[in-house]
Amino acid sequence: MFALRRWWDRYATRAGLATLVVGLAWALRQSQGAIIYEIYQVLTAPLQPGLTQVERLENAYILELQQRVIELENQNQGLRENLNYAENQGQVTVAAVIGRSSDNWWQQIIVNKGSSEGITAGDMATGPGGLVGRVVSVSPNTSKILLVTDPTSQMGVKVSRSRALGVVRGNVDGRVVMQFFETTPDVKPGDVIVTSSYSRLFPQGVPVGRIESMDLKKSPAPEAVIQLSSPLNILEWVTIHPFEAKTDVNAPPAEIVDDESLH
Amino acid sequence: MTASKGKETLSDFQKVCLNIAVIVGSSLICLLLSPMRFPGIELLGVAPNWLLIWVVIWSIHQSAVNGAIAGIVLGLLQDGLTGPFPTHALSLLAVGMLTARLQRQRLIQENVVLVAFIVFGMAVVAATIMALQMSFQHLLWPNSLYVSLWQIWRTHQRVALSSAILSSLWTPALYYPLHSWWKR
Repeated sequence: MFALRRWWDRYATRAGLATLVVGLAWALRQSQGAIIYEIYQVLTAPLQPGLTQVERLENAYILELQQRVIELENQNQGLRENLNYAENQGQVTVAAVIGRSSDNWWQQIIVNKGSSEGITAGDMATGPGGLVGRVVSVSPNTSKILLVTDPTSQMGVKVSRSRALGVVRGNVDGRVVMQFFETTPDVKPGDVIVTSSYSRLFPQGVPVGRIESMDLKKSPAPEAVIQLSSPLNILEWVTIHPFEAKTDVNAPPAEIVDDESLH
Repeated sequence: MTASKGKETLSDFQKVCLNIAVIVGSSLICLLLSPMRFPGIELLGVAPNWLLIWVVIWSIHQSAVNGAIAGIVLGLLQDGLTGPFPTHALSLLAVGMLTARLQRQRLIQENVVLVAFIVFGMAVVAATIMALQMSFQHLLWPNSLYVSLWQIWRTHQRVALSSAILSSLWTPALYYPLHSWWKR
């Protein structure tokens, strides 16, 4: 008891301070570092690129449009209706990339538009060429986008030509791999990959990339390496599309429950 | 440099306030540097771990407990900037404690090359702890997000080596101002 009292007399201030600082750090962590990103946004404001550079990205946009055309032709051939297409063309926000993930294990980007521009967590981000990622947290003037190459990012996709379904997941090494649901999918290198209607976190029909190589003998499911159509490591601008995650998809209930962990 | 001028005029209270300002300011600068990628700072897509450098420099001037507390605090802040799992608090906690243990002799503080070597080793330790967390998650949870152990450890090699090299090269930039302030 006495020893405890003496310890308290000596270290009370330090213990109190340490608790306070750890508590503050915890609060900042829970707020997803919003204050730090706000300061970052203010400080890097002079370094952010101006809006005039958009022309440089024109070639990449053409690539994106080509892929959209391929996708639309396929949809017409199969006499499918693209019901969500009009909805997807809502109001978009163009934002500049002002930072990358703060640690090397994550694949994230920070952009200079946030909740004051109407961006909410869950919105979809596309770049020149196609899908880039998903907004995971917002502060008033910045938002954090989880790239499709991050290992925690997964989405339902399909091969545009043959409608073979699968899941695209990022790897810790920054590559993107597609796992097919079927054991013998109809694919060949160069096929265009778009998001499928099974994807709950992204609207359907957004171009993702092309198939680079395949390993159809892979167990438990055949795999293909995807070459993303948007250049993620030199990205300067992204377009943010408002999107609400779907709750009713045409999938068996077991899959919906499982989808919490499997985006 | 600034100290020699103001040594006599500063009261104890002012010194404490100034010290707090230096601690908070320098760690804030490190936090703000970490999402930044300017030319010369990137190697194989990997950037230096500024917070780790800060924790190492802090720990060579402090006890193991203080090193651990600084590690936890900055680790939590870095979690806020990236994502909750795997947590940086664990890896920076280990870095703070190990570094404070190393500095039994005060010799280490004075030698910038030794400090850079410690940063090199600690960057490897930190990356290993992150990779271990991912591996445990992969082994223990059925719906793990990480596809294979082989990939985790191959990425670990790349991340550990390039962040260790870059961090130790950038150590002097933080070491000189902070050390000249804290050694008094």
